[in-house]
Amino acid sequence: MSIEIKGVNKSFGDFVALDDVNVSLPTGQLTALLGPSGGGKSTLLRIIAGLDSADSGTVTIEGTEATHLPPQKRNVGFVFQHYAVFKHMTVAKNVAFGLEIRKRPKAEVAEKVDELLRLVHLQQFAHRLPSQLSGGQRQRMALARALAVEPTVLLLDEPFGALDAKVRKELRDWLRRLHDEVHVTTVFVTHDQEEAMEVADEIVVINNGRVEQVGTPDQLYDEPANDFVMGFLGETTKLGGTVLRPHDVHLSLRPQVPGAHEGTVARVLRVGFEVRVFVLTDDGDEVTVTLTRTQARQLGLEQDTRVWVSAVAGATTVDPVAAVV
Amino acid sequence: MIWFSLLVLIPLAAIVVKATGGGWSTFESVLTNENTRAALTLTVVSSLIITAINMVMGTIIAWVLVRDRFWGKALLDLIIDVPFAMPTIVAGLTLLSLYGPQSPIGVEINGTRWSVLLAIAFVTLPFVVRTVQPVLEELETDVEDAAASLGATRFTTFRRVVLPALVPAIFAGAALSFARGISEYGALVLISGNLPRRTEVVSVRLFSFLEGGNTQSAAAVATIMLLVALLAIVSLDIIQRRVARRG
Repeated sequence: MSIEIKGVNKSFGDFVALDDVNVSLPTGQLTALLGPSGGGKSTLLRIIAGLDSADSGTVTIEGTEATHLPPQKRNVGFVFQHYAVFKHMTVAKNVAFGLEIRKRPKAEVAEKVDELLRLVHLQQFAHRLPSQLSGGQRQRMALARALAVEPTVLLLDEPFGALDAKVRKELRDWLRRLHDEVHVTTVFVTHDQEEAMEVADEIVVINNGRVEQVGTPDQLYDEPANDFVMGFLGETTKLGGTVLRPHDVHLSLRPQVPGAHEGTVARVLRVGFEVRVFVLTDDGDEVTVTLTRTQARQLGLEQDTRVWVSAVAGATTVDPVAAVV
Repeated sequence: MIWFSLLVLIPLAAIVVKATGGGWSTFESVLTNENTRAALTLTVVSSLIITAINMVMGTIIAWVLVRDRFWGKALLDLIIDVPFAMPTIVAGLTLLSLYGPQSPIGVEINGTRWSVLLAIAFVTLPFVVRTVQPVLEELETDVEDAAASLGATRFTTFRRVVLPALVPAIFAGAALSFARGISEYGALVLISGNLPRRTEVVSVRLFSFLEGGNTQSAAAVATIMLLVALLAIVSLDIIQRRVARRG
């Protein structure tokens, strides 16, 4: 295990940011800390980096007890949401910063900077100032700067949060490819479940200062531990006391399956390629069903149509009663 | 541009014309006058000393105001401007009552060169603070965290990351502070005693020229001060660019 976090607590005044957090992050993987804003994931990342200190608990990085080490001694690379560039230095100088502080020979620094700028596709911008770069380019520079000191772990705090949607998607793919090339243990914080599912090998879901679930993207999606995780990873609806995904609800005009719930179509809403049908069951549930346009057209659904709804076989469901902690 | 000309350029030109009207001899007589030379030296040297002190102290005060949390901070933030905002003669009176004859704290420095330094320091205190403060507020702590995680000590972070960002503001404040220092009259006139060749500053000297009806000499002194101010602002700007580039 590359990073071991044991029993970490952190409060800011009355606000509990982290509540007895225990996580192990394996070496060489790309892990996402996923959760809603204010859930404590950034605090956890900053505690790993030594930029914040835990009230109690321990942090071990590659077998080294790091709980009380200052950030300078942890050998972690950190990338910030708002780039944190050194504005008065050129791109090359920014990347060279960590190496110059370590008093490496000039030739070695120049060679390493050149190699890193090539890696992040910024070699032609070496002598520009950061203010002359776009947001995406600045973040790539920040990444090169963090990689320059050959960190044992690379930590990224909402690295694409300040970028527009298109650049964000590009950088996401690029980060994944970069990680496959460099293989440094990487942890990144995000509140975007799509980003986490696309990029990460493993996802740690954090909410209200607690770890809700740890697993691969598939595990989280197919076997969510509770309705929070299920709800955070995609849309959910309730049917007969269980929580399930709207596309896992079967809808028919005749009772086909035993135990199907009878109800009335309250509203039909078309969004792009899908159709959302809101069904009010006779038991009083309001169920959302997602259908393709073709399915909806075949069924000829309208408001007040009588329908039968049931969970499809093999649907991912969560019993909300069990999920209430 | 017209506004700027009316307000600044034309009056400045008028002074220079007036001074040069008497030819080189006016300048020569002014410059060879012991009292005037002493006043010039005192003014410029004192202002330089205080400006240097302000660059250090002003930056520290700005740092404390932006980064530290303590009781009474808002009040301190407000009081910083007082020396700048109050009429200078009132400032002079304040200093005189505290450091003058029968000083309540037993420090009588009226009539010494210390009083000149003190008065200049008093009125120029806010300049560097007020130019550095907003820049420091804009400076994200992320940048310092980034430097720390790259292995930089606090001192290295300050020297290589924070200070270069502050340099333009520090020098802008220094230029203002110096300009105010060499032109100070009100705060000085009461406490310094205006002893020729000891505590008499240029502005006082200039006033006495005017009182004596010697407008040409006054204009000549004014032109010299204009050159000094210009030189100071230009050289501060050059130093600032040098420092910023070195990074």
